[in-house]
Amino acid sequence: MSLFRRITATSVAVSIVFSGMAYAAPAPAVAPAPLIGTEQLASALAQSDSRSALMATLDRADLAAALQARGVSVDALRDRVASLTDAEAAQLMAQIDRAPAGADILGVIFTVFIVLLVTDILGLTKVFPFTRSVR
Amino acid sequence: MLAAAACLPGCALLADPPHTAALRASPPADLPPRLERSQVPFFPQTRHHCGPAALATVLADVGLPADPVALADAVFLPSREGSLQLEMLGGARRQGALATKLPPDLTALLRELAAGHAVLVLQNLGLDFAPVWHYAVLIGYDLPARELFFRSGTEQRAVLPLHTFEHTWARGGRWAITVLPPGQLPATAREADAVEATLGFGRVAAPAPLAQAWAAVLQRWPANVLAGMGLGNARHASGDLPAAAQAFDAVAQQHDSAAAWNNLARTRAALGDDAGALLAAQRAVARAQAAEPTWLPAAQQTLRDLGLAQAQPVTSRQ
Repeated sequence: MSLFRRITATSVAVSIVFSGMAYAAPAPAVAPAPLIGTEQLASALAQSDSRSALMATLDRADLAAALQARGVSVDALRDRVASLTDAEAAQLMAQIDRAPAGADILGVIFTVFIVLLVTDILGLTKVFPFTRSVR
Repeated sequence: MLAAAACLPGCALLADPPHTAALRASPPADLPPRLERSQVPFFPQTRHHCGPAALATVLADVGLPADPVALADAVFLPSREGSLQLEMLGGARRQGALATKLPPDLTALLRELAAGHAVLVLQNLGLDFAPVWHYAVLIGYDLPARELFFRSGTEQRAVLPLHTFEHTWARGGRWAITVLPPGQLPATAREADAVEATLGFGRVAAPAPLAQAWAAVLQRWPANVLAGMGLGNARHASGDLPAAAQAFDAVAQQHDSAAAWNNLARTRAALGDDAGALLAAQRAVARAQAAEPTWLPAAQQTLRDLGLAQAQPVTSRQ
């Protein structure tokens, strides 16, 4: 995909996500809700504990764009972003290319294959279905 | 001598990892020695889709909608060819379940099985420098045989030695969750993890199940301020104002929380209890001024709104 098309697609997706966000999760910071929200109180408590440095500000549209750039379909973006708390969304944004991605057992290169074969047999790893631990 | 020297690193490598050693030395007396939840359904994974398959397994086990294909849209990240932990939590919530992190302790996983809960785990089947990330669902154990049983990948009943699982689990950060309907909590959940799970559930849940979830947290940890506030807010959102006022009142009395006083004031006002609302709003402002400046603007706004609401009937009568 050309850079131009990519940018266009991303901005379209982000605007779709954004337009829906008001319904999915009204942001208390923008329009003060009549009641103080539970998550709002949670983040205030977390900050006074100085536990969460991540919280600060997070643009959920950025997260939606990041997910889309990594192959998530436009239809799925809004729901995926909306199902996370602010703290989780910030954390996901920060770790999206580093966090463990559970997948499966294929695609191990050859040198690593030998090492893993030995460690499998020692019972330290379990990559190959045909190995049986010696212990 | 040479043999002994050669054995040293090797033998250290082959020593049992800590939780396995502890379980072998002193198996918890209150746990049955063997247990297998063979009724847990099985969804064989397709390529890279162990995340959606594992999620479908634990959801179906508690009777919630579980279609691995639909779940792949919810959690699979194509560029990473896998599913991230945070999105697994979000995916569970969207199916109406609370995904709660468990303590990073192998015994806790066994206790969950004993409590009737399947456990979703992240493993690094490979090594730190060549990770092979994998989600599986723990469904049973046999302590005398030192084995664990899983629904894993394309295997309906994968068997792993206790020590091998602990190695792979430790390399995955000892991450494990239960996925349960609102109102149920994992047997071993810690307070902070239960609160975090319920906060996340609140992102997508309807008010009634959310109130049910907060009520369960409050029942186990009656002193938790967020659980009390969450219960009040969820009841308010579902339109049950008297019950909401009751929840806010309890938090306000117990913790002298400005946020709880504020919400109590607004709920009482909506119920037509003007005097009670004014009292609560004054407490909110006083508390915010004394100790919780974050809520001062909101509390002052509530007090102003009450004043306006009370002034209006008088002017309209003139």
